[in-house]
Order: sequence, then C-alpha cells, then structure tokens
Amino acid sequence: MNMKINLPQQRLSRSAIRVWIISEMIANLIGIIILGCLLYLHVLFAWKEWIGWVLIGITVISLLGTVWSCIYPFLMYKNWRYEIDSEFVQLRSGVLNEVYQLVPMTKIQAVATNQGPLLRKYGLCSISIETMGSSHLIPALPKEAAIELRN
Amino acid sequence: MRKIKRYHPLIMLFDISQLIKNAIFLVISLSMLKFASQSSYSIIGKALFFSIFAMSAISIILKWFTHKYKIDDACFHIYNGFLSKTVQTIPFTKIQNINRHASLLHRIFNVTSISFETSMTGEGSSIKFEVISKSEADRMEALVRDQLITIKSQQGILSEVNVLGKMNHQNRTIHFKPQKKDIIKASLTSLSFLACIPLLGSFFLKINEFLDLEKIITEIARGSIGAVILIIVFTILFSAIFGIVTTYLKYGNYKISSDDRYIHITKGIVEQTAYSISKEKVQAIEVKQTIMKRLLGLAEVKLTCVADLSSEENKHEIHSLYPYLPVQRAYEIVSEMLPSYEVSQKMSCLPKRFFWVRLIGQSWLWIIAIFLLYYNKISFYKIENLWVLSVILFIFFILLRIQGFFQTRFALNSHFIQFKKGYLTTSLFVSKREKIIEVSISQSFIQRRLGLASITTSNRAKPIHFAGVDDVPAEFASSVYHWYLKRQKEFN
Repeated sequence: MNMKINLPQQRLSRSAIRVWIISEMIANLIGIIILGCLLYLHVLFAWKEWIGWVLIGITVISLLGTVWSCIYPFLMYKNWRYEIDSEFVQLRSGVLNEVYQLVPMTKIQAVATNQGPLLRKYGLCSISIETMGSSHLIPALPKEAAIELRN
Repeated sequence: MRKIKRYHPLIMLFDISQLIKNAIFLVISLSMLKFASQSSYSIIGKALFFSIFAMSAISIILKWFTHKYKIDDACFHIYNGFLSKTVQTIPFTKIQNINRHASLLHRIFNVTSISFETSMTGEGSSIKFEVISKSEADRMEALVRDQLITIKSQQGILSEVNVLGKMNHQNRTIHFKPQKKDIIKASLTSLSFLACIPLLGSFFLKINEFLDLEKIITEIARGSIGAVILIIVFTILFSAIFGIVTTYLKYGNYKISSDDRYIHITKGIVEQTAYSISKEKVQAIEVKQTIMKRLLGLAEVKLTCVADLSSEENKHEIHSLYPYLPVQRAYEIVSEMLPSYEVSQKMSCLPKRFFWVRLIGQSWLWIIAIFLLYYNKISFYKIENLWVLSVILFIFFILLRIQGFFQTRFALNSHFIQFKKGYLTTSLFVSKREKIIEVSISQSFIQRRLGLASITTSNRAKPIHFAGVDDVPAEFASSVYHWYLKRQKEFN
C-alpha cells in the first residue's frame, strides 16, 4: 500500500552520484589508511591480541561500508525529489525511511547556497533552507538552478 | 508621559534585599568551612566577600540612577548602562503577552512587577519592570492594549465589532474559579500530601536528637494498639491537611477570565501572579491527563504560545490554564474562550487490523531476548530466574501498548488537526492549519509495507513546538499532506 502523495517532480543533478561516490571514496580511503597503519603498528610492537581482533573487525566493517557507499548514492539519487513553487517547498528523501516534508514559502527565513571543492568541480551547489525552527538541506543542485532558487 | 522616567525607587530596596538574601546563603555555606577562623585563606575570603558585597550594593544604586524608561504613543524606550549606554526601543505591536507578579514583599509595599513579552529570542526579549506602582502598571497595560487596538483598526484589520470591544474591554467574563471541591480534588491528584513525608521525616530526626523518640514510640506501641492507630491517623490527617493547604496556597485564588482579545489568568494567595495572553497568538491547544487525573476526571489545558518565560522558574505552568479542570468544563472553556478553536469529540481510532502490528511490531527483539534468557539460564546478581522478571516487564509493556493503541485518536477538520496519544498520560493536541509552520511525514521500511506512516507538525513557539503521531494509516497521512497543501487558499 502506498501513500497517495504526488511525487515532487524535480530531481537532483545526475552528477551528484559521482560527487557522492568520490567523497565517500576519499573518506573511506583515509579510514583504511589509518586502519592499515594501526595494523602495521600492531604487528610491529606486538600489542595485546584482542586489539588485533578489534582492528580486523573494524576493517571488515569499513570494507563492507565501502561497498555500500558505492550503491547508496544511486538509491539516494533515485529517492531524492523536490519541488518548489510559489507557495510550498516540497521535499522527499530517504531510502529506507521515506520522509515527506512540506514547508510553506511564507515561513522561510533564509536560504543559503554552499559549495565544497568537489561540488565546485562539477558545478553543483547544495542549498539550505532555513525556517524558524529547522533547516532543510537539498544536496547537489546544478549551480544555476541553485542560484535561481536562492533568489 | 513623554518624558524619561526612572524606575520606582523601591527597586533599590528590592535588589538589596535580594542581595542580602544571597549573601546570607553564602555566609551560611562559608561558615560551614570555618568562616571565623583566622587562617590566611579565610581572611582573603572575607575581604573578597565584603568587597563584592559593597560593589554590588553600589551598583544597585548606580543602576537606579542610570536605568531609565520612556513610553510614547507606540513604543517603549529603555535606557540602560553605566559606562556603555544602550537604548532599546520596542514597539507595542511586538508584545505578545503581559505578566504580572507580586511577591509578599511587593504586596507589603502595595506595588507589583510587570513584564511585557515579545516573540524575540535571547536577551532583551522581554521588558520587565521589577517594581512599579499598581496604578502605573494598570496605565501601561491599558496603554499597550488600546494602542494595539487602535493601530489595528486604523489598518482596517479589525472589524467594528472589535473596536466596540475596546470600549468595554473591562467587562471580562469569568470562566473558571475553583470551588472547595476542586481544591480537594487537585490536592489529591497532585499528590502534594506526599510532600510532607520528607518533612515529617526530618522533623522526626531533629526531635530524635533531643529525645529518644524511637524508644518512646516502641514503648507506646507495646502499650496499646489504640495509640498506634491514633498516631497513624494523626499522620494521615496531618499530611492531608498539609496537601490541601499547599494546593490552596498555589491554586486557591485562581481565576480564568477573558475579554474579546485577551485571556487573563490570576492566581496565588500570598504571591500573586497575573498574566494575559493574546488570543490571536495562541498557536495550539493541548489537553493533558495523567492517570490520576483520568481517574478523577480532571484535565490540564495548555496553550502553546510564541512568547515563553524562559527565565522564570515556573516556566511550565505559565501557559497552562488551571491544571485540575474537570474534563467537560475544560472543553467548554476552550470553546468559550477561543471560539475560533473547536475541539471535536469525534475522532477516529486506529483501524483494528493494525492492532497486532502495533503490539508485536517493536517488541520481537525483546521476545527473542526472553527466549535466550530462558534457554541459557543467565543469572544476574544472583537473580536466578531472570527470564520471569523479563516476562513480567514484557507483559506490563504490552498492556501499556494496548492502552496506547486504544488511546490513539486522530481527526482532520476543515481548519483543524487534532490527535490524541499517550500511554499512561494522554495528551490531546489541537492546532489550526494556518498556525502550523511545517508538516513532515515519514515512513520507515516496515511502515511502508504495512501502510502506516508517522506525522510530525511544528508550531511556532519558543522553542519550536513539535507534535506528532506514529503509526497512523497512510491514507490519513496523505490526507494531512493534501490538507496542508491547501492552506494558502485561506490567505487569498
């Protein structure tokens, strides 16, 4: 059984997937390097045995995480929708937990665009919409669309 | 009226009495640490203490000389500061509600304190006059109110009826005044009679130091059963009277009244507090019932407002109407005072087919845990049959959950949303569409399979007020979504 809510029409930029994958990869790489160093030190200084097991456990988990982080961006892209008209901002996100959010235009206090180095390379922007109580983030929009939105 | 005024000179007396109160507390705690001894630490400490005391005394006097205020037709102007001066201007239109509080000291000098609350956050969000003569406070209050009405009528927002209302805005209709019966019920529900147990306990211990009370009691007990019963009866009576007196002092002189724009609440016997909330600014209503209150048919009505007395200690009480209202009366009062709100008694329950889901849904992990405990016979601190304990707890929570299932109600009218939830304490939440600032609907993986959803709404308040229900049918959730989408039409 599904909810009869019309899906918001607009999607994120396609290259968002690539950005997410790259940033995940960088983070994972750093993590794995650190773990590798620890394992090396473990062997070198002959730390207590249980430390080795813990380290191996963490490594396995982070390797699984790496695989997941290659799939996850596709799902996230598939599920992220938004729509903005003169009255409402409608957001829909979430892979396992679906969240629909409805924010009236009149209650929006501030809008900010944000660009990290990776996002800039692909000409993307993340946009955060702040209301009185909360802030909502739309990750990775094409820059022109984001600036248009902001204004 | 236009000239700059100083605050009431009695404010110095009040501040100084406050200072002395704090100082006495400090001295007592210091004397524990041998304040009188002649060691170098204590001499430095004493010097520090007296210099701080003198400095704050001087600053109080300076404060009176430098803090000033001015009221003109539309604004408060507050002048602050001794070295660096600040001027603050607050227009009347920004004022959300007005509070008055008179402590015992205030009443001796026939003065009061008044504060005007705005919706701003942070420092300087409210204008507070610590000490002010009653007539001046009345004048200010009337000024702020009349000003608001005239401004609005100039803009043509208010209809003529309300302008007429300005003429007779003194005519307040009284909605509720607790009777003796209500007080007794209130003292019963608040369990305030239990508060005297530690009091009695410490009293007992104190006496025990002088007399060997324990010995006396055992002797009496050996003597006759009648004496024991007498003592027990006396204790019960004492605690009952104690409970009634404390509730009476707190809620005795309670009065809820309203005129056509404001809700007024006055309370207190010794310390008097009065506050008014603008009706327009009420964002949502909440009716709360604890299990005790439900047994006695009482309820607490809470108003969610933008302004909040975050500095005051009795923050939670500030926007609640009388916490021990009879249920039926509570609904009547709401509809009398806030005609724009209607609490409909008809609400739909959760469909029966979700019953088992709700019951088992989140507890399967626990069931597994019980089986594990049963088979492995894990013992914890020498408690052998841990699984029995776990089963008992489990049944208790299942019962709670069944209770919760049958208490979850929801309804959607043309302008209102209302839902009721809770296990032991139930709360009924009612809000208007135009007052809700955000709606969010979420579905977890399992919920999606079963056609359930959770709704969260937020209201403007300080801090933002969130309310929501879990596990309602998806159809209802989507209808809430569409209902909210239509909100803009009301403004056009």
